[in-house]
Amino acid sequence: MFDLEKAIKAWLKDFRKHRAFNTGSIREMELHLRDHIDDLMQEGFDEKVAFQKAVKAFGDIKPMAKETYWSQRPKSNNSLINTTMLKNYLKITIRNFWKYKFYTAVNVLGLTVGLTTVFLISLFVNDELQFDKFHEHKDHLYRVVENQYYDGQPVFPVAVTPIPLGPSLLEEYPEVVGFTRATNENYQFEIGDRKLVERYGYQVDEGFFEMFSFSIIKGSVEGFKDRLNALVLTEDLANKYFPDEDPIGKTIKLNGQEHVVDAVMENVPPNSHLYFTYLTNYLEYLNRRPERATAWGSNTLYTYVQLNEGANLEALNAKLEGHIKKNLENSVTDIYLQPITDIYLGDVDFVVEVSRKGEMIYVQIFSIVAVFILLISCINFMNLSTARASKRAKEVGLRKTIGAQRGQLIFQFLSESVLLSIISVLLSVLMVALVLPSFNELTKKAFEFSTLFQDGRGLQLGLGILGVALVTGLIAGSYPAIFLSATKPISTLNSQSVTLKQGAGLRKVLVVFQFMISIVLIIGTIAIYTQLQFIQNVDLGYDKNHVIYTSAPGEQAQVLANELRNQPGVVDVGLSNRHPGYVMSSSSGFAWPNQNPDETMLIHFMGVDEHYMDAMKMNVLEGRGFLPGDTAVVMVNERAKEIMGMENPVGVTIDAYGERRIVGVVQDFNFKSIHTAIEPMIVFFIPSPSEVYIKYEPQFENQIAGTLESTWKNVFPDRDLNYYFLEQDFQEMYEAEERTSQLSVCFAVLAIIISCLGLFGLVSYAMEQRLKEIGIRKALGASVSNLFVLLTGDFTKLVFVSLIISIPLSWFVIDQWLQNFAYHISLSWWIFLISAIMALGITLLTVSYQSIRASRANPVRALRHE
Amino acid sequence: MISKNLTAASTKPLILGILRQGNCYGYLIIKKIKEMSGGTMAWSDGMLYPVLHRLEKEGFIQSNWEMAENSRPRKYYQITEAGKKELQAEREQWTKIHSLLDALWDVKPAN
Repeated sequence: MFDLEKAIKAWLKDFRKHRAFNTGSIREMELHLRDHIDDLMQEGFDEKVAFQKAVKAFGDIKPMAKETYWSQRPKSNNSLINTTMLKNYLKITIRNFWKYKFYTAVNVLGLTVGLTTVFLISLFVNDELQFDKFHEHKDHLYRVVENQYYDGQPVFPVAVTPIPLGPSLLEEYPEVVGFTRATNENYQFEIGDRKLVERYGYQVDEGFFEMFSFSIIKGSVEGFKDRLNALVLTEDLANKYFPDEDPIGKTIKLNGQEHVVDAVMENVPPNSHLYFTYLTNYLEYLNRRPERATAWGSNTLYTYVQLNEGANLEALNAKLEGHIKKNLENSVTDIYLQPITDIYLGDVDFVVEVSRKGEMIYVQIFSIVAVFILLISCINFMNLSTARASKRAKEVGLRKTIGAQRGQLIFQFLSESVLLSIISVLLSVLMVALVLPSFNELTKKAFEFSTLFQDGRGLQLGLGILGVALVTGLIAGSYPAIFLSATKPISTLNSQSVTLKQGAGLRKVLVVFQFMISIVLIIGTIAIYTQLQFIQNVDLGYDKNHVIYTSAPGEQAQVLANELRNQPGVVDVGLSNRHPGYVMSSSSGFAWPNQNPDETMLIHFMGVDEHYMDAMKMNVLEGRGFLPGDTAVVMVNERAKEIMGMENPVGVTIDAYGERRIVGVVQDFNFKSIHTAIEPMIVFFIPSPSEVYIKYEPQFENQIAGTLESTWKNVFPDRDLNYYFLEQDFQEMYEAEERTSQLSVCFAVLAIIISCLGLFGLVSYAMEQRLKEIGIRKALGASVSNLFVLLTGDFTKLVFVSLIISIPLSWFVIDQWLQNFAYHISLSWWIFLISAIMALGITLLTVSYQSIRASRANPVRALRHE
Repeated sequence: MISKNLTAASTKPLILGILRQGNCYGYLIIKKIKEMSGGTMAWSDGMLYPVLHRLEKEGFIQSNWEMAENSRPRKYYQITEAGKKELQAEREQWTKIHSLLDALWDVKPAN
């Protein structure tokens, strides 16, 4: 039996032997043959004869192929890219963008917001990772840090080291080629009749300038070799004291001692873990306290060393470890070298750490968030593109018919998405420029758009941005490209259009994934926020609110305190030698009855006067507080009572810098960060501590500084006053968390916006597709509310699925984060409930606009047009 | 029957001439030529296509795939402005040759 299709296929095979013909022209000739056969059959020939006649009339294929007339050269036939096609792709792309303005806008907007977020996060993350990398010798610079081991307590990591450590390392280890000590010492600047305490002073050794790359603008630092009164100011400080003159060689009194300005140095860059505004010679301190030069037992300053090129860190660390024990009998301290570039993001919680300290976990969290947000925006793109596949199916069918290969189609759709993402990238660069100032405010960074592209980084950044555009375009376009190019031309061309059903499964998965991320972010944000509220309101063991403090010179603190007690609004005034939230002094040298002699216990200590505990609202649990006239008495906190193993500590005499009697037990209070658990403490009664803490009536909030100032002027007519509010210190202490919470709120909001944008697009498209269905349902009597439930139900189901996945996931992640805090909230169900309600609410809001619009439309309109 | 060579030479003006009357696809072009010539042209249908493609490459014609709901897709050819000019030039040439031959054949053999 003759099979026409088979015969035609066989005939077509001959064409493929010749490279002259491309698929398009073969198709053209096939159609010619078919037309001819049809005509012949109408004339009355049977299929077989008609075929034979048509083939004969068509003639030999071989001579045709020899003709050089074929317009397209074989070489370009097989190439994916040729200019004519490119032009056509561009034309079709632009037409499509224009024809479906709404979806294009949704796509571009989503991608732009996503990319903007990603760019901002990368700026932040990159800046965090760049800390201390500006030092030329960064690879050879290390800070010496300690691990102290006490019985029954975890390892106690300490960032400060003994004074003689630096010089002795230089002397004993050939690998060490330089050292500097650095310790914060604030001086009172006195120039003419101006007196002011400058907060950010550091005492350093001469090695400081060779090791670190802080650049000197003018002058010389040679003076640090031998001159005790050498002084270096940063640009800002130099301008403050010498606005119109050359500061070099000028003298300033620092705590009454004359110092000469040797050099002016550039302001410390924002990404340096050390922050200072002036430097003085450490030798000056040693000159005053020569006995300290051999004090191996007290850890007071940072020691930095520089190693030679070939030094092996591990081998050196092994040799160094017992260095302090070698010099100090019974020491419990090991040392090791910490690379300078690890300090800022290091994960060890050192005691006495510098104030500029970042957290690696936030860098990681934000990086992940960036990737997620980019994914969410890519998913939007994928969903909208595949959903609209039916609109493009005819085009694909046609292109395939005239010979487009799959590769070409994939290329076409990928280039479309890359083009779209390039547009979005350009827009988002613009957005970054716009929001950078607010972003700086939020992150406390100092990015400037104009400088981002300087210093040869322009090209790098440009390439990076282009790379992001390309990658985003490829990721976002990959699925639609593969999906669309797979459409069968036969099904698209015989007008059974591809329905929304195609790819719907994957689209659902993607929507679920998107909402999962958004919900995790919502839950995370609420958790971070509640934790911060918790920290700020946690019972510290004392009342930090409505306390202003200052420090007065020596014994005169008493005088000031007495004066202040008579002022209106002052509740009480207490004296102390330590900030209540920052007690770092500790000793293992205390002894008490029945102490295990083999155990070394580290106990913190501070000194206060008899008013302090009342003023700070600390609770005395047993015994009594200090009284005027007490001698040789101490108090202990609950934790100290516990580790000393005493049932009734009141009245017991212990050895703490001499024999002292315990008169009372004070309730545990947080004298360190809330991240750490409360440690044992002994509170000494000392006659004249210099820190003055003034508790005032809340309603005197605005006047209290004035009151303090006028009282101060009476007591110290020739001294400038510095004062601080305790509450503000706490705000600064938890600034990192505060920033994180604000940033995560921003990111969560953005992620939700992007997700909703995608959902909005998807819903509007679904409604468009279901217009007829809705029309028929309405015509048959469905009410608006019936339809609303029907239409929103599909999407609500997806959000439910996302909730089911994301709740355990976020519970796990947040639980990990909370472990960072010694005191933290427990994750309660209401956080999840609120998040669930929010997610559902936002979804319903997004979906309902479209559903209500669709269900209220007049059914006639939907059914009329075919 | 018209010879192969002559057929080949006249293909170009023939195609341009037909397209001048309106857009047309390959099979229809052949069909028209066959009808008009009464089947006297020694053509194999397939030879039309290289010529069409060459003409397109030279810019005398343009092509466009057209899809219709109820028939096969067809690649329609359309004459361009350059094609119209080319047809004019061809026409002048053929007219010249025609009149030359005419003139020759009108002259009585000299004996």
